Amino acid sequence: MTMPKKHVVTAIAAIASLGALTACSGGGTTGSSTPVPSDGAASGSVTMWTYPVIADEAAHKKFWDEQIAEFTAENPDVDVKVEIYPWAGRDETLATGIAGGKGPDVVYLIPDQLPKYAKSLAAVDNYITDNTGDLRENAAKSVSIDGAMMGAPLIMNSKPLVCNAAAFDAIGESGNYPATWDDLMTLAPKFKDAGYDVTNYWGAVDATLNESFYPLLWQAGGSVFSEDGTEVAFDSPEGIEALQFVTDLAEGGFVEKDLLTTIPAFEQTRTAQGKIACTWQQGPGDVASFWGEENTVVLPSLKEAESIGYGTVGSLALMKKAENLDAAGKWLAFATRPEASAEYAKAAGWFTPYTSQTGLYGDDATMAALEATLDATTSGDLNEKSREVMGILAPEIQAALIGQKTPEQAMKDAAAAANPLLG
Amino acid sequence: MTATTPSGDVLGTGVQGSLPDGATPVARSASGGPSGPSGSKAPSTFRRTMARREARIGLLFALPAFLLFLAFRFGPAIAGVGLSFFDYTIGDTATWTGLDNFERMVNDPIFWSAMRVTLILSVLIVPLSLAISTFMALLVRRSFRGSGFYRSVFFLPVVTSLVLAATVFTWVFSTGGPWSQLMGLIGLSTDSWLGSTTLVLPALALVSIWSRFGYGMLILLARMQDLPRELEEAAALDGANAWHRFWHIIMPQLKPTLFFLAVIETTASFQIFDLVYTMTGGGPARASYSLVYQIYDQGFKYFDLGYASTLGVALFIITIVVALVQRRLIGRDK
Repeated sequence: MTMPKKHVVTAIAAIASLGALTACSGGGTTGSSTPVPSDGAASGSVTMWTYPVIADEAAHKKFWDEQIAEFTAENPDVDVKVEIYPWAGRDETLATGIAGGKGPDVVYLIPDQLPKYAKSLAAVDNYITDNTGDLRENAAKSVSIDGAMMGAPLIMNSKPLVCNAAAFDAIGESGNYPATWDDLMTLAPKFKDAGYDVTNYWGAVDATLNESFYPLLWQAGGSVFSEDGTEVAFDSPEGIEALQFVTDLAEGGFVEKDLLTTIPAFEQTRTAQGKIACTWQQGPGDVASFWGEENTVVLPSLKEAESIGYGTVGSLALMKKAENLDAAGKWLAFATRPEASAEYAKAAGWFTPYTSQTGLYGDDATMAALEATLDATTSGDLNEKSREVMGILAPEIQAALIGQKTPEQAMKDAAAAANPLLG
Repeated sequence: MTATTPSGDVLGTGVQGSLPDGATPVARSASGGPSGPSGSKAPSTFRRTMARREARIGLLFALPAFLLFLAFRFGPAIAGVGLSFFDYTIGDTATWTGLDNFERMVNDPIFWSAMRVTLILSVLIVPLSLAISTFMALLVRRSFRGSGFYRSVFFLPVVTSLVLAATVFTWVFSTGGPWSQLMGLIGLSTDSWLGSTTLVLPALALVSIWSRFGYGMLILLARMQDLPRELEEAAALDGANAWHRFWHIIMPQLKPTLFFLAVIETTASFQIFDLVYTMTGGGPARASYSLVYQIYDQGFKYFDLGYASTLGVALFIITIVVALVQRRLIGRDK
């Protein structure tokens, strides 16, 4: 009798599909702590996980080797190891590492990740007091949860409005760059008639809303969460206004249709082909090689109620269960001091979160313009459920963009599904 | 015979069908060895001793793989079932919640939407995949000039990186891409299928079938090579046309193999993830959000491992139920 064996095989195969998930099981602790550095020299080993922030692996490794050499000259009893992991699957790697007790002592995280790992992190306030004197306010806010800094800011960037001068030349509107939503909408038909998109909108549900919809929400004066974080606030009139704006762009045929639902290779997009006027979802570094340096113009973020864009902060976070917490905290403070930050940021093509470390790129007008926008950025509200909420909101936004729902209905449905997660 | 009969190997029919009187290969091998000088008792004892010894050696060889399977597959899977009764997120303590996760799942509209998407994909993929695999196997069944080349070409998608293929197919299905141009030529809309809530699943099903039909073709081809030609030749002499020969002679003999493929393809289609992840991200508006995608989101995006495990248990149960139904429908004559 062979059939039952088949079912056993099928059963085992199906059970095995659960295995990957169960590999993540393990212990953990709750609550947060704010460790205080010891007065004496630190000792022990420290392992830091980071990612290819500097694309050139050799240059990246060299940077950290030099930092380690400098740090261990002052702390000879500390053995620091920096491991560079690929960006892909970094959350899976980190989550399973933590759960399995094989995680790092210090890790590179962005604000979007901090709430998820907050229960495993120690606050770093007491370790970085020497560094925070000239820390940008928005950078400090972007890593703070309940008033405690859960990461030490290391580098920072901005996604303001970037326009293609050649497209404006082509429609006879040279230099007439948009400053507001109305400006953009007024220009839209002219660009369409000339075969250009006025902007792009990456609406695929797995694309982060931090760079697509949330900037519009913030510009309209809205926010994703209520102040106390216990319910969503994107279904406010400001949120509906923001969704109406992008829906109008989609319905008017002013943005590339395929981008509303898929994420094609960037080279295949009209953005890369130069058939677009402006974008707030790509930085100058993304488009300059396609548009030409001379055509890449960095401008302040669009304004409705206010001019604000998305900016992220790369920070080093301290794991609460670090074997040598004091050594790890001191290494973290050393690695994020302003001088190290400036060197790292420049090698990575980013900026520092410190106001004392500006003008990294000399006479480069594009980078200077980008740097000037740093203070007008936010990384959004830090909420433990921010990704779940994004996962609920994104398909509803997409439903509005493809005409399945009105913006009001989409926001209402998303809020109804998201609020129970926060309650 | 037994080694080259995939269907027999997997379904356990080849061995029994190819040896006379139900003799096992071990018994037959033993009978060729030295025997006692008198009577039948001694050879029988000898055969049994040899059989037991060979069985022990076989088990010994299988033991390492079996232990690894227990440790790294079965054990974690059982733990996953246990985890479905806990509220557990990374960095937090696990809290026993009983059936709360299952209650949440039953009341979760996203789960039911993902279930619907998964079932529709399976309904689209499995029958078409079996039909195309059978057709292609029939095409390359006979040896002809270049048949080996065609067999290799048809099998190529199976060994092609699915992510790479999905990236290419994203372009193929894009507005202005080859597929939309083809649709335009026959007077249909040139909009991207991946942007349509109605057409996204057929698009994904087509790519999935493209990527898997070669496997089914290979299994069926191996089975067809084993079929005795005399029956077909006799039928042809009696005037049966190609369709009748296929339907009344070949098809009944393929049934166990088709059942095996149906189970494999159904399981694979229930676990569809790579294509959805790469081509649509579950969109548009969750129209292609499959059950495994939801498990991935809950497990590795939101780190809600308790609920992710619950969804995994549900997928496991559904897979078993569907396999049993398939057995009733396809495998009942076996």
